[in-house]
Amino acid sequence: MSNSKQILQPLDRAALGLMLVLIILISGMVWSGNKAAGSVRDFSWENKQVGADDASFSITFSRPMDRDSVQSSIKIEPLLTGKTSWAGRRMVYTLTAPAYYGNDYKIQLSGAKDQFGGEGGEKTGKPIKPFVGQFHTRDRVFTYIGIDGEEKGRLILYNVIKNQKNVLTPASLAVTDYKPYPDEDRILFAASEWTNQKPGVFEQQLYTVTTGININSPGKPETKQIPSGKIELVLDSKDYQNMKFDLSPDGKTIVVQRVKRGNPEQFGLWVVRAGSPPLPLENQPGGDFVVAPDSNSVAVAQGQGIAILPLQPQAKPIDFLPQFGKVLSFSKDGTAAAMIKFNSDYTRSLFLVTTSGVKKELLNTPGSIMDAEFDPMATTLYCLLTQLQKGEKDEEQPYVAAIDINTGKQTPMLALPNQRDIQMSLAPDGLALLFDQVVTAQELPQPGSLTTNEGQAISTGVLWLLPITPSNSEPKDKSGDTPLPQPQKLPLPGFHPTWMP
Amino acid sequence: MNHQLNNAFTIFLSLLVEAMPFLLLGVLLSGLLLLFVDERKLVKAMPRNPILGALVGSLMGFLFPVCECGNVPVARRLLMLGVPVPVAIGFLLAAPTINPIVIWATWTAFREQWEIVVLRIVFSLLIATIVGWVFSTQRDPRPLLQATVARSMPRLEIVDKPVMADDKPMLLQSGTFLLGQAGQPRRMDASVLQASLLASSTKKPLPDRLNLFLENTVQELRELGGVLVLGSAIAAIIQAFVPRDLILGLGQGPVTSIAAMMLLATLISICSTVDSFFALSFASTFTSGSLLAFLVFGPMINFKGIGLLFSVFRTKTVIYLIALPALLTFFLTLLVNLYVS
Repeated sequence: MSNSKQILQPLDRAALGLMLVLIILISGMVWSGNKAAGSVRDFSWENKQVGADDASFSITFSRPMDRDSVQSSIKIEPLLTGKTSWAGRRMVYTLTAPAYYGNDYKIQLSGAKDQFGGEGGEKTGKPIKPFVGQFHTRDRVFTYIGIDGEEKGRLILYNVIKNQKNVLTPASLAVTDYKPYPDEDRILFAASEWTNQKPGVFEQQLYTVTTGININSPGKPETKQIPSGKIELVLDSKDYQNMKFDLSPDGKTIVVQRVKRGNPEQFGLWVVRAGSPPLPLENQPGGDFVVAPDSNSVAVAQGQGIAILPLQPQAKPIDFLPQFGKVLSFSKDGTAAAMIKFNSDYTRSLFLVTTSGVKKELLNTPGSIMDAEFDPMATTLYCLLTQLQKGEKDEEQPYVAAIDINTGKQTPMLALPNQRDIQMSLAPDGLALLFDQVVTAQELPQPGSLTTNEGQAISTGVLWLLPITPSNSEPKDKSGDTPLPQPQKLPLPGFHPTWMP
Repeated sequence: MNHQLNNAFTIFLSLLVEAMPFLLLGVLLSGLLLLFVDERKLVKAMPRNPILGALVGSLMGFLFPVCECGNVPVARRLLMLGVPVPVAIGFLLAAPTINPIVIWATWTAFREQWEIVVLRIVFSLLIATIVGWVFSTQRDPRPLLQATVARSMPRLEIVDKPVMADDKPMLLQSGTFLLGQAGQPRRMDASVLQASLLASSTKKPLPDRLNLFLENTVQELRELGGVLVLGSAIAAIIQAFVPRDLILGLGQGPVTSIAAMMLLATLISICSTVDSFFALSFASTFTSGSLLAFLVFGPMINFKGIGLLFSVFRTKTVIYLIALPALLTFFLTLLVNLYVS
């Protein structure tokens, strides 16, 4: 016990000495003040290529921030409006409209202050290091099926920004339909060998082809560029004929309508997923179908209505909408759909159906409703309609119209030449519509000729581009209406154009 | 008042519920060390170099994953087994943080601020090693320890000064004598029991050893559990009557935030396995340095555990064990706040 009674033991000397040194060091540091400035740790879109699906970016700071100072000092060029929200040190900027394609954007943050600032009651915060970031949007690219000469029946990729054309598929395949994958790296297409093609018989198989596009998307690891034109067979047509198909928005599931050869009663939807054999859904047979935006269900026209089926075999429908005959499209977030109701008086109605239970009739027409697409913000529905022109022989005049979803107001945009089968595609940023004008031959299609969806032989075709003025920035004329845009004829002979996502 | 008492009782129970399993784990580990590890081999394996020893002790949490309630029984056991003081001090301070469970939990919470995870580990190791090294200046650790613990320590190989006279348990030769002691409440203090067990434990047949293991566990749990109950009660009362806002209101500046978070860590006595998630909720309003201070200092020193420290160390030692890590934490985290981020 005598040890503890000594005044200073070795431990006391060491401990007290260290404590003294630490106190001196701490005082010195406090005295010399705050040398570090806060900074932006991470900008989620830095040098990324952004598409319409990328709705928000985040900026993470090294310190808690004075939020008002950040919000007032953030500057994006060209202007990109959005709303800010905060989660801790991270600010999320959610765009109110998708960024325009083919642009380079610069984001600047100077004069933003941190939250706690200096000591001594200073409430203003300390400015953080200025930040400059940049990101790009995807190029404006679309695909179509060629018509003339060498390009006949081949899938062609066209980059509007770079004015570049790239024929993707070989001359031996006649492409009938296709769907791009969400990352633009591949396109799923249905085609048959020219040598096989007999009119009226579906010999088409499903393939994918690489596009050579390598998008450096936010939130995804960088991938290696694969050269364009690499073909892979996805689904053959040995035992089953492949009729229609759709690709889920996440690109992971293909839904195909198939018929057993020699037994047309075996008719239904199949699901093809990477790495597993095709699986029949074994549901009631139906007609037209669209994979829903959640990528887990499909809307099928079944009997007297639309069934929403999960993409699992023998599953019970999630929902059944008895009034409607066809789903045209879904809004991107999946909360709304455009559906057609076939009325008993031979008119057709275009309905907006939302997940919250709203069923709103937007249009009633004696003509046809051929297509409808939601703009990215789901405020406008671009429709491809026809007007019935009574005469000796009833004729249908196609036209493009925009319908304001909130007010239901219909604005005709463009009258089109008389044609049965028109394909329309809305650019992912909502700034342009593409459609085709196909001249069909009067006679029945011969072996080796291209046909429309309705089976008419195509003799020639032209692509048209209709620019759309964004609704939030247009100079309005006296009547308050938007001046009608003029379509541009593209020097690309082809049909069935589709914007890449 | 009534409401606050209710609150205090809730906090008290939650602290206990959270800490008891870990104390039990620590006690079980301590028992296993006592009965199944040959102390001579263990002591021999420990490095003699004080800094290396402290570092090895700090890293022993990987072997004995205990939080800040389980570390005290194990550290006490290490001291009793004659492990060098820097090793035991290093273990005492770092084990609650430097173990797989806590590192994983910190990573889960602070994945997006990975430097918090890294610095928590580095600072904890650094502080534990430095404090362990400081304690190595004392060659004879007995004056640092409570008499009961000191008494059960094995003789030092090199004795500077005459040690305490009543080291009788060291002379006990046979385990059978121990069983006879069960009826003598005066002697039934855990350290005496353990010290006697120690003498011959590894030579005993397994059933006997298991029996002794059980007895030791009950003894140690009873003793340390009582201290934990008391510590939790004090922590709960302070938390209920000193509003958290008052502590956080100390400031959010680069210096004041550290002080506030260290005080908060000491008062709320949250278990180191879950404290990262608690700290995460302050990430939006507090500096990185202050979060680190909370994560580094909290597991070392908190109200719930101070009682346990007093059960092993003398008052002066406990004061050093609080002051040194506190100053070191303050210094290192201030460095982060003022010069790094």
